[in-house]
Amino acid sequence: MTELSIQGLYKRYGAVEVLTDINLNVRSGEFTVFVGPSGCGKSTLLRMVCGLDEVSAGTLAIDGEIVNDVPPSKRGIAMVFQTYALYPHMTVAENMGYALKLAGEDKGLIAERVRRAAEILKIESYLDRKPRQLSGGQRQRVAIGRAIVREPKIFLFDEPLSNLDAALRVDMRMEFARLKERLGTTMIYVTHDQVEAMTLADKIVVMSEGRIEQVGSPLDLYRAPENRFVAGFIGSPKMNFMPVTGQGDGRLQVPGGTIDIPAEIDASRVVEVGIRPEHMQIGLADENTLRGNVMTAEHLGSDTFAYVEIEGLERPVMVRLDGEHTIQTGDPVDVGFATRSVHLFDSDGLALRRQKVSNAA
Amino acid sequence: MLDLSTTTAKVVFIGIALLIGFFLFFPVYWTLASSLKADAELYQITPTPWPKAPTLDHYRTALTEGQLPKLLGNSLLVSISSATFNATLATYAGYSFAKYRYFGRKPVMMFMLSAQMFPFGLLLITIYPMFVEWNLLDTRLGLILSYIVFALPVATYMIYSYFSQVPNELIEAARADGASDLRIFHTIVLPISIPPIVTVFLYSFMWSWNDLLYSLTLIVSDEKRTVAPGLLLTYLNETNADWGGAMAASLMAATPVVLGFMFLQRFFIQGVTAGAVK
Ligand SMILES: Nc1ncnc2c1ncn2[C@@H]1O[C@H](COP(=O)(O)OP(=O)(O)OP(=O)(O)O)[C@@H](O)[C@H]1O
Ligand SMILES: [Mg+2]
Repeated sequence: MTELSIQGLYKRYGAVEVLTDINLNVRSGEFTVFVGPSGCGKSTLLRMVCGLDEVSAGTLAIDGEIVNDVPPSKRGIAMVFQTYALYPHMTVAENMGYALKLAGEDKGLIAERVRRAAEILKIESYLDRKPRQLSGGQRQRVAIGRAIVREPKIFLFDEPLSNLDAALRVDMRMEFARLKERLGTTMIYVTHDQVEAMTLADKIVVMSEGRIEQVGSPLDLYRAPENRFVAGFIGSPKMNFMPVTGQGDGRLQVPGGTIDIPAEIDASRVVEVGIRPEHMQIGLADENTLRGNVMTAEHLGSDTFAYVEIEGLERPVMVRLDGEHTIQTGDPVDVGFATRSVHLFDSDGLALRRQKVSNAA
Repeated sequence: MLDLSTTTAKVVFIGIALLIGFFLFFPVYWTLASSLKADAELYQITPTPWPKAPTLDHYRTALTEGQLPKLLGNSLLVSISSATFNATLATYAGYSFAKYRYFGRKPVMMFMLSAQMFPFGLLLITIYPMFVEWNLLDTRLGLILSYIVFALPVATYMIYSYFSQVPNELIEAARADGASDLRIFHTIVLPISIPPIVTVFLYSFMWSWNDLLYSLTLIVSDEKRTVAPGLLLTYLNETNADWGGAMAASLMAATPVVLGFMFLQRFFIQGVTAGAVK
């Protein structure tokens, strides 16, 4: 059983610190997703696990063995690159068999493993083609096939879907979900698309500016973000944030109204609150109510997104309603939401927790 | 913007192209025409625009009586060797400059390129005593080595620019697949780099093939003489000026380079790394 353990890992380029004190354990068979905005160091971390970038400080261990100085091919990992990096002069079959050929494996075995991988990915009929004769989606499959053939202990994927068009991306996402079921191997997957992260991951690692912000299951991160960054990053559409302008009687004053907070929380520490668009309602009284004007509404068919302007807020509050909802723009409305769906943040951007984790349901 | 679709624009454009073409090709045409004229016609006071009675006599004489076959053989030997040597050195050096980071990489490259800034004649003055010292004077090896001066700097730079375009991920993928550095270079990078290497080969072949100064100076004995100084000494010396023969021989001497470039064209068109990434 394979386990990846990262301890106190740093990456520096000269004076620039790209990764800071990364600590992470990935359990065997787990599908782990590194997610974060562009430039936060996801690829760098993945490349270090792969062995393409050197470790500046800290340790990387696979199955309890420290692999800091072990070359990539000896780590039992296989990486799928964002740009696929197929060898242009080799056929699909040669591309897939290259690693085994280098390892001196027997021709028959190589052919068999290539055939099996091709079958999984449904690329049997292209085995004799060159990469340039394939579409983007097919190249992607070949790149994955090249990794599968090696039968690695850990798969590493760096934004494998980012070069595909939207429709194909959804298909390939399901393909990954299927692959995960079928192979059951430990997989680490990098993306900056939080939808990919939410749908594929057993465990999400949210990163920002070279640090890990939070690690957890998709729903944990959605329900109980530990800080403002994670709260804003996970979930689509994004969480609405509001500054706290005052407090009294166990209620927080925010632009447009007041919010009830649980007694066990020290109201004076709360500087900002966050509420997800899907946890707000328009025109329905709830435990808390804000007053504002509907600025615009977007009708997407499945959903309606209402933008409510509230005095004292720079950005309108977004409310997600069901698709049939019709709303008049310009009218004053009440925006209602339950107290348990309110996220509270202190001056460091850290979430203030209730005793029981029972935020939004 | 210049609108190229109007008739006037087309006429002007074609006119300019024809003019440039005329300037470039007239000497070639004149060489060809002269080589086909009989001596009587060639030495008329008023030149004829094309041969009245074309004859292959000059070609026949050049091939049978002169030293042309031997000269061509010598040139071929020297040029192919020096082009191979240059292309090989340029390929390894260019790859190292493009894909490895080490101390002094940039200065070394600049130093190499700076060799190109000296007039070749000046460099010859330093090469000559060196060759005397090392007994390389009047040897084919010496001449081959001296041609490094012409082509290597630019060849290395050409290859370097190409290798800089080769995606690092391709190399990293091969490394992750377990290939050693040399293996990566030989089984991944080289096979996709044939076009630039052929280009560089032909580039340095052309330099050595067309060279007059170095070959005239560094080679003394007749049996090692290459084609450019050979033609000069045979056809246009103090005692005679056989223009017809010189023209025929020059054309035949130019053929390998022309053929080489025709062959090379196919390579320029190909997308080299097509399908590797994206
Ligand atoms: N060789 C290098 N030298 C200096 N800085 C580097 C180098 N490679 C990467 N960086 C820096 O490290 C940071 C992290 O880069 P990385 O490629 O890991 O980001 P990423 O999270 O994968 O972003 P993206 O989503 O855009 O792919 C970036 O700020 C980048 O500028
Ligand atoms: Mg990246």
